[in-house]
Parts: sequence; C-alpha cells; structure tokens
Amino acid sequence: METLLETRDLSKLYSIGERKIQVLQSVSLTVQEGEFVVISGSSGSGKTTLLSLLSGLDRPSSGRIILDGQDITDLTEDQLAPVRNQLTGFVFQAFHLIPSLNSLENIMFPAELQGDQKAKEKAEQLLERVGLSQRSNNFPEQLSGGEKQRVAICRALINEPKIIFADEPTGNLDSENSDGIIELLRGIHQAQNATIVMATHNKAIAENADRIFHLHDGRLSVER
Amino acid sequence: MKRVINGRFLLRELLYSKKQAAIYILCVSLSLVSLIAVNSFKRDIDRSISGDARALHGGDIILHSHYDLSQGLQRAVVGLTEGKKATAVRTRAFYSVARKSDESGSLLCNIKVVENGYPLYGRVDLASGREFSQVVGAGKIVVGQGVLDRLGIVVGDQLLIGKSLFEIADVILYESAKPVRFFNIGPPVLVSYKDLAGMDLVKQGSRVAYETLLKMADATTVDTVAARLRERGLVGQERVETFRDAGSGIKHFFDNLLFFLSLISVCTLLLAGIGIESSLSAILRLKEKNFAIIRSFGATGAYLLRHYLLFVLILSAVGTALGIAVGLLVKGYLSVLLSDFLPPDIVFRASAADLSEGVVVGLMVVLFFTFLPLWRINNIKPAVIFRSESSRAKKSFTYYLCIVLGFSGLCVLLIRYLGEVSTGFYFLGGILLLLLLVTLMTRLILYFLSKIKWRRPGARLAMRSLLRPGNVTQSIVVTLAIPLALLLIIYLVENNLRGTYIDSFPADAPTLFCLDIQKNQQEAFLGLVGGKVTLHPVIRARLISINGKVVNRGRELKKRRDNLAREFNLTYRDALLEDEILVAGKRLFRKDEKGEPIIQVSLLDTVAEMGDMKLGDILQFNIQGVEMEVEVTSIRSRTRSMLYPFFYFIFPEKYLREAPQTYFAALHVESEEIPFLENRIVQGFPNISTINIAETAKEMGRMMQKLSKIVNFFAAFSILAGGLIIVSSILATRFERIKEAVYYKILGADSRFVLHIFFLENLLLGLLSSVFAIVMAQAAAWSLCHFFLGISYAPGWGACLGLVGLTIIFVVILGLLGSIPIIRKKPAQFLRQLN
Ligand SMILES: Nc1ncnc2c1ncn2[C@@H]1O[C@H](COP(=O)(O)OP(=O)(O)O)[C@@H](O)[C@H]1O
Ligand SMILES: [Mg+2]
Repeated sequence: METLLETRDLSKLYSIGERKIQVLQSVSLTVQEGEFVVISGSSGSGKTTLLSLLSGLDRPSSGRIILDGQDITDLTEDQLAPVRNQLTGFVFQAFHLIPSLNSLENIMFPAELQGDQKAKEKAEQLLERVGLSQRSNNFPEQLSGGEKQRVAICRALINEPKIIFADEPTGNLDSENSDGIIELLRGIHQAQNATIVMATHNKAIAENADRIFHLHDGRLSVER
Repeated sequence: MKRVINGRFLLRELLYSKKQAAIYILCVSLSLVSLIAVNSFKRDIDRSISGDARALHGGDIILHSHYDLSQGLQRAVVGLTEGKKATAVRTRAFYSVARKSDESGSLLCNIKVVENGYPLYGRVDLASGREFSQVVGAGKIVVGQGVLDRLGIVVGDQLLIGKSLFEIADVILYESAKPVRFFNIGPPVLVSYKDLAGMDLVKQGSRVAYETLLKMADATTVDTVAARLRERGLVGQERVETFRDAGSGIKHFFDNLLFFLSLISVCTLLLAGIGIESSLSAILRLKEKNFAIIRSFGATGAYLLRHYLLFVLILSAVGTALGIAVGLLVKGYLSVLLSDFLPPDIVFRASAADLSEGVVVGLMVVLFFTFLPLWRINNIKPAVIFRSESSRAKKSFTYYLCIVLGFSGLCVLLIRYLGEVSTGFYFLGGILLLLLLVTLMTRLILYFLSKIKWRRPGARLAMRSLLRPGNVTQSIVVTLAIPLALLLIIYLVENNLRGTYIDSFPADAPTLFCLDIQKNQQEAFLGLVGGKVTLHPVIRARLISINGKVVNRGRELKKRRDNLAREFNLTYRDALLEDEILVAGKRLFRKDEKGEPIIQVSLLDTVAEMGDMKLGDILQFNIQGVEMEVEVTSIRSRTRSMLYPFFYFIFPEKYLREAPQTYFAALHVESEEIPFLENRIVQGFPNISTINIAETAKEMGRMMQKLSKIVNFFAAFSILAGGLIIVSSILATRFERIKEAVYYKILGADSRFVLHIFFLENLLLGLLSSVFAIVMAQAAAWSLCHFFLGISYAPGWGACLGLVGLTIIFVVILGLLGSIPIIRKKPAQFLRQLN
C-alpha cells in the first residue's frame, strides 16, 4: 500500500491581537491509500483546523503537507485548484451547497469545471445511488439536512478523488440520518476502496474506522 | 428597573454596520444638497431681482405699447396727473447704432429715451456719483461702460445717434430697471426726451417700446386705477400692467433655469430615497437573525423599534447636518457659475426660513423611505432563527396602504414644491412610468435569460446568481438606469441645441441682420450692400383669436418657450423660399375663379403647433389697429437651420402691400468684414439696426456652455445617488458573493473562473442598465427636441456607446473590487465565518 497523505510537524497558530493561540502542535500523520481514518476529539480541539490544513483549504504556521507525493504546503490558490478539483473531495458539517444551483447541478459542478462531457450522466448515477433521483431539480433550500448531506457527498465523489475529507458530516443531523450518512461513507470506502479522513467527536461513529487518532491540547495521538 | 434604551446595544449596532450606515448618511445628505442649494438660491434671486418689483419695472402701473398712446388712454393719464393722483414719465426704448463723431466706429446700443423725473422708482447710479436728473439733459447722455470700451472713447467725447450729436456726460454703473446686463444685446444709453425728435430715429414701423410709467400718490389705488386704464386701452395693442403682474425677461430666465434645476433635484431626491431604503434594508437584513434571537429572549417589537428609530434618527441627524452644509457650499458654487447672469448687488443669505422648505421636503422623503424597511422589524418572528434562508416578512394590507398614502402625500408635497401642478404631475408621472417600464423590461429580460439553457458552467452560474431569489439585480438595474438616462437626456438635448444653433452654423448662413429698413431706403440700401439680397417686408401685428377663441395672454406669457401673445412679424410674398416645403395644403395660397388669391395665411409648422392650428382655421389679426380675419390655407416647414430668417405668417402680397411696413435683410458677410459694413450702413441710414448674428451665435454658445455646466453639475448628484445605491447593494450582497466564491474555490475553481463569473454577472448588470438608459433617453430627448424645442434631432450614438462602456467599466470594477480578497485568501477562514 502506498502512502497518500503525510504531514511533518504540522502546527497552527491563531493570533487574536497580541495573543496567540496554538491550536495544533507538531502534528505528524500518515494515511495509506484505501484507509478509513477517523480524527476524534472534543469540540474546539482543532479537528476542523487540521482537516483544512490537510486538504489545502488553509495554510499551516509551520510544517509540511505531502499529498499524493506532492508538497502542497506552499502552493498558491490557483495551483491548488486542480488538487481540490480532482485529487480531494470535501464533505462539510454545514453542507455548503451552492444555493443558486439545484441538486443535480451542484453535483455536476466539479466535473464541469474540468470539462467532463459526461458530467450529467455521472451526477444522475450518483443521485440514484443515494436514492435522491426525484430530488434532482430541487434547490438546497428545498432539501432536508440528510438530503443535503447526501448531495454534498455525491458532489465530493463525482471526480473520483483519491481522498475524501469529511468534517463531522453528521454533526448537523439526527441519529437516523447520521446512521445513513455513515453507512453511505462506509459503503463508498468498501466498494471503491476510497481513502477517507473523517473528523468526529462521536465515539460510536468512530468505531467504523481502520484507525483512530485523538486530538487533545493541540497534539495528535494514536488511539487505535 | 427596566431600561427604556440600552445605550451599549445601540452603540454596538451603530458600529457593527458602519459601512451601510455611512451610505445611509450620504443618501440622506444627498437628498438635501441640491434641494437646499436650488431653493436658497431661488430665494436670493427673488429678493434681489424681483424683490423690489417697483424698481425693476419703474412704476406702480406700466402702460406698454408699440405706438403713441391712444387718445382714450392718453386722456386718462393726463386726467390722473392733472388731478395730482399720479406722476407719469414716458420712455421709449429701441436698438440703434451709435457712431463715433469721426464715423470711425459704430456699435449697436440699447437706447432709452426718458422724460424728466425718470426713474420714478429705483435708481440710476453714475460713476461720478452725481444725481441722474442733474446729468442727463438736452445733448447730454449717459452710457454703459461697454460703449466706451468697445468704441475706445472716454467721458466727455461725442457720440452720434441718428441725426444728433451728443456729449457723453457720465457712465452708468447700475440701473434698477436692468439689474442684469447679460440679457441685453447692446450696452445701455440713456437719452433725454428733449432729444427724441432731433435723433429722427423713431420712424413708421420701427421697433420701439413705448412705455408710460405711473407712480400713484395713493398706493392703495393701484389695482383699481390699472383696471380702469385697462378698459380704455386698445385690445391687442396697449397693455396695462401693475408692478405686481408685469413680466420680466430676467425673472423668466431664472424661473426657467431654477425650475429645471428643481426638477433635477427632485430626481436626485427620489434616487437618494431609494438609496436610503436599500441601505437601511441591508442594515436590517444583516440583523434579522439578531432580532429573532433578541425577540426569543422576550424583547418586544416595540423595544427593537425604539432602538432602531433612535439609531435611524442619529444617522439622519448627521446626514441632515452634512446635507445642509454641503447644500450651502453648492449654492456658493452655483452663484460663482452663474455670476455672469447675476446682478452685481445680489445678497446671498442663508436664513433658517430659506432653508426650511428644502429641509422639510427632503426630510419627508427620508421619512417615507425609512419607514419601508423599519416596518419589517415589528414583524420579525423568532422562528426566523430556525430557517437558514432569510425570511421575507409578510407585508400586510396596512403596509401597502401606508405606502400608497405616503407616496401620494409625497407626490403632493413635491408638486407643491415645484410650484407647477401640471408640469410637476407629468414629471413625477413620467418618473414613475420610467421606473415601472424599466422594472418590467428587467423582469422580462431576466425571465428570458432564465429560460435559456446555458451550456458553459461559468455562464450558467453567472446567470443563476443574477436570477437568485431576493437578488438585487432588478433594483440595481432600475436605480442605475434612471440617473444614467437623466444624464444622457440632458447631454442629448444640449448637444442637439448646440448642433442646431451653434456648431452647424452653416457656411453660407447669414451673419448680419438689418432691421427697420424704410420703404424709401430700399434702393439705396441694396446699392450700398451691393448684392442679390432679398428684402423681406415686415408688418407688425398681434394674433387676436383662433377660430373665435381669444388668445389668452396670461397663459401664453407663462409658456416656457415662444408664445402666441407676443407681437409677430408678418410678411407677404407669393412663393415659397428655397428652404421651405409645404406640409399641408396643395399650394402656398388658394386662388379664386379669377386666378386671384383670396385673403388667407400660410403658417410655419412651429407656430401651427404652438396654437394647435390646422388648415381651415380662421385667425384674427390686429395689424396696427386694423383687424383682419384670414383662413389658414397652407402650412410650411423648413429644411434648413433656424439661423436662416423665417416668418411664421405669410400673406398674399395683394392684401398687405399697403400696410405700414419696414424691410428686413439677412446678409452673409465674412465675420471680419461685419464691423466695417455695419459702419457703412448706419452712416448712410442711421435708423437701420444691424445685428451681428455671427457674434450673437458665439455669445449664445458661451452662455449655453455655462448653463450646461450648471445643469450637468446638478445631474451629477443624481449619478452619485445611483452610484451609492450600487455600492450599497454590493455591500448588501457581499456575504452572498463571498459564499459563492468560496464554494467555487473549495470545489476546485481557480481565480480565473471566479473572476470570470463575477465579470459576466456585472457585465450583464451594466449592459442592461445602460441599454435601458439609452432607450429611455433617446425616446425622451427625441420628444423634447421634436415637440418642445422644435429642432431636428441627432441621436448621438457615439455618446451612447461611451455611456455603455463607462457604465460597464464602473459596475464591473466595483463588482470585482469586492471579490479580490476572496480570491487571494485561503478559504478556511471564510468557511468559518459562514457557519
Ligand atoms: N480564526 C480563528 N481565530 C482564532 N481562533 C480560532 C480561529 N479559528 C479557530 N480558532 C480556535 O481554534 C480552536 C480549534 O477550532 P476548530 O478547529 O474549529 O475545532 P473543532 O473543529 O475541533 O471543534 C478553537 O479553540 C477555536 O476557538
Ligand atoms: Mg469543527
């Protein structure tokens, strides 16, 4: 198995005026291809911060991030664009669907960005797979939380990324919907051997993972 | 104890939305600036020009005619003066050319011959400080500085006017009757009545204004005496006015200019109102969730409303103070711009009373447009917290009723402010119609755009965000299109006026007009100017009635353009001029069985429009005492510039040949030659007046440039209001834009893509607004030129294209500026804000 994601001595400082808050302290982490990794930790422990760094949505204060053999730490926003589009997929706690596009168009969008002619077919297939075919013309504000998150997952999948980041994907959902979403992610992991890095503070959900890390006081420790 | 006002909460709210608050303040002050400037300036003008109407018109009662007073009126005046009930002074005013005693130079002057006792009211200030009555006498005249300057002579030198030689005794510094010099063609010369006959200038048909000024011993008798005199006067020839109702060209000019500026101010006012509404709505929209949370704690709607009323009050007070201050500054600038047109002794004041009208009107508008968004506070339900999208507060029947009532009240107020019911009504109606039209057009176009299937994701996204529900597309387009249209209308009309009268001064157009050529001078005059010059006979007359309906003098004189009540110059000839075409009627004149023309008249289309006259109408004229009824048998139009001489009314030669008449000639002379020719003409024929048209056109051009500068200056405030609205909506939708840009980025879009979408979106906004503006402006400017000014119209597409370009650049730059930080920064921080 190949190493897909590797970090070295990652740290992140936020400064509020004079004060500095050290959210992450020399975090080192390696994720192999096909792994399902969970980052656990209480609220405010830095999970979102870490996932943002790993996926290139934020820049670390120090340390390096190597994604699929490429050091993405110092890439410019434009250099990161193809990485975000093709290499990674992101599922957010707050869904973050584009409000002016309907379900189908939201899913198609990343594929269209790279000029994929089959974007529509792929999106329709994905919608069918998550059982939302009848909802393809609905806009985000017309969907329930669980439906939104399923659309968001489809959107993360459409370009068949090598790695999917999921930041508390069930954080805004009830338990029934949560189970469905976790089921879906696990299914994707198993069926496509997709690599998934998921943050959660829910112990029960963490049980599904190949490996579990724990964030506490800015430091990462292996739990399993 | 419960606190009524929570100061800290208020301060936080103020600081939290400081950008939109700044826009709100600017809009409030903008709504006041031009209103206050124009209003306060108007008061100054009223005070200094028409404030002392007796001085301006020279008497309590003014008898005006173009001939000696009729016997009846003459007797009545003598009766008054002999009975010591009134003092009377006669004056005669005309244009004539004054020459240097060695005949080496000449100048058209505005000559007024005055009887002893002039002026009855007001004053004539002389350079030496002496009394006017002690200086002017037989053989001694006083002149304006312009006479000395242009002829290169000094006080004490001699001047030839007509057949008399005068000594220049002094220089006129100021005359109450002519507070503003700008509007007179030549410099003034005041001559004693004793020299009238000697000059031998007042001949048959000369254009002389005969005035008899009366000063009543008992001021309360003015109206009754005037009414009595009016009965004695000859209808259509003699006019009896009191100092209160007499018209004045200067006042007319300022009335027109200030009315026009008021219209523009009202436009700015309404746009600023929209800005007020949109910035306050944006402030409140940002806080909708806050409100809901506060209400869920148990705060009452009244609590929020109280705080927000205070909030708005503080901002409005700042805006009002700023508006008044800037308004006064602008007024100062206005008086600098207009200095050429203003009396030298005008006093600028800014009393509370002067400001109050503008402030009241402005604040009513502020109140109305502030009310709309504030209404929403009261109706926010705590449930809003649970919905992610912002709620649209339900608007009740009362809300709409309030809007309708408030708006009607506002319209009444504005029409009252403009002071002209019908024009004000049409103007406001026109603006509303424009708003409605643009709104509908925008809706329609957006609807069609939404039906198009966009294949490229960029175009689709841009379109989608324009069509997003609750988006400001429509209001941006409307509020940008209106001021743009306004500016373009002003530009187009001005350009067409300039094109007609100044720029296109045709190469072969006449440059010198000669008036009052007497019948027996024809041959000699033609010999002197030596050319194939046409002499047009001129017979002066008034139009009494159209189809038996008497021409309403009062109403006609109020017209903002040419009117039917003035004295007209009739002419006679039996053929069309080469630049004339018939637009109605088979030929110029109809003939009877014997081949002789019947008595009839041919009209120029412009005058036909003025009085709604058609073929077959019967017009009644008073031709110097003789009444004549004629049928309209043809209507003519002209194919050349208005600079060529034209006649409204043409009669068949047979019927006017014997009427008292003078001749008019339009010569084409190179401009350098004009002074020499003028000199030769007046040496030979002192009674002939010459007008240097080339010079006059240049002068008019300069004047128009000044006026258009003022108008553009005021129109710029409208544009500013439009700009503020755009900035406000961009700020208001910033959150939405950030959100979208961040989403595009996290899904892998690069900066080019994001910029591309913003560019397309703003491009479309700019394009829609400017295209609508052009459509409206072309329609309005064409109508103005065609129906109102009666000049030909050139659409000026170059300027329109320029406008499209500039608007797009402005809107795109503004739109893109807001998105740059989103493109450059990492998405993580924005994502955190979005949660
Ligand atoms: N922009 C910021 N400025 C200052 N502190 C921040 C900022 N973003 C996050 N933090 C702090 O960093 C810590 C970690 O936040 P986050 O990564 O969101 O935790 P988690 O996702 O585990 O709940 C929190 O204490 C939070 O207050
Ligand atoms: Mg988090």
